[in-house]
Amino acid sequence: MAYVWVAIGGALGSAARYGMSGVIANLTGGVFPYGTLFVNVTGGILIGFLATISGPDSRFIIPTAARIFMMTGICGGYTTFSTFSLETVNLMREGDWMRAAANVIGSVVLCLIAVMAGHAGALFLNRVRGG
Amino acid sequence: MQVPRDAVLLRVFMGESDRYQGSPLYEAIVLKARELHLAGATVLRGPMSFGLSSRLHSAKILRLSDDLPIVIEIVDSKEHIDQFLPQLEIMMGAGVGSGLVTIEKVQVLRYGAAPTT
Repeated sequence: MAYVWVAIGGALGSAARYGMSGVIANLTGGVFPYGTLFVNVTGGILIGFLATISGPDSRFIIPTAARIFMMTGICGGYTTFSTFSLETVNLMREGDWMRAAANVIGSVVLCLIAVMAGHAGALFLNRVRGG
Repeated sequence: MQVPRDAVLLRVFMGESDRYQGSPLYEAIVLKARELHLAGATVLRGPMSFGLSSRLHSAKILRLSDDLPIVIEIVDSKEHIDQFLPQLEIMMGAGVGSGLVTIEKVQVLRYGAAPTT
């Protein structure tokens, strides 16, 4: 059954990525992969939040199926490491080393910060609800 | 077949995902040009573009790479190009209804084995 939840979540996440990265890419132009960066960072916030809100220390009891559906399925389908890698290599192949480096460093740093932000948001929610 | 020295260059700009009766539009146009015995046609594929909709297409960004620009160039006499235009209009109109068609005068210096006179 876990595979079914991952499959459904992955389908939803991938479709959301396709839509979202399209909107961002059209807004920002075709020079730097902002669309991919945006989905990865927002996906980072989401998975950081979900990991903490469904973790053992949380006040919320989240079923395993929901956790797999949201984290492995939706977040996995939504974010993309392969597209990030491809677009970085595209920049490198054109000799655009500045943007390639900015993409690697920027994405990794921003995604880690995003996960921490999601984690902090969930902790805050736990505390507020806990009174 | 001969092409006069004073000829015409027909350019058709479109996206690679444009279709005509189930096959790629650029393919349909080239095959139609061949069927009508035009002098030749060349398809060029570009890495980046935008058009009427302002929507950007780029080979560099995966999400923007699903409709990259295609240009077809056809050089022939003005009479042959004029005969071809109605057919082109039918194919372009049947698709997504977008694209760009231009015509310019060119001097043909060589077509095939012999210099053009």
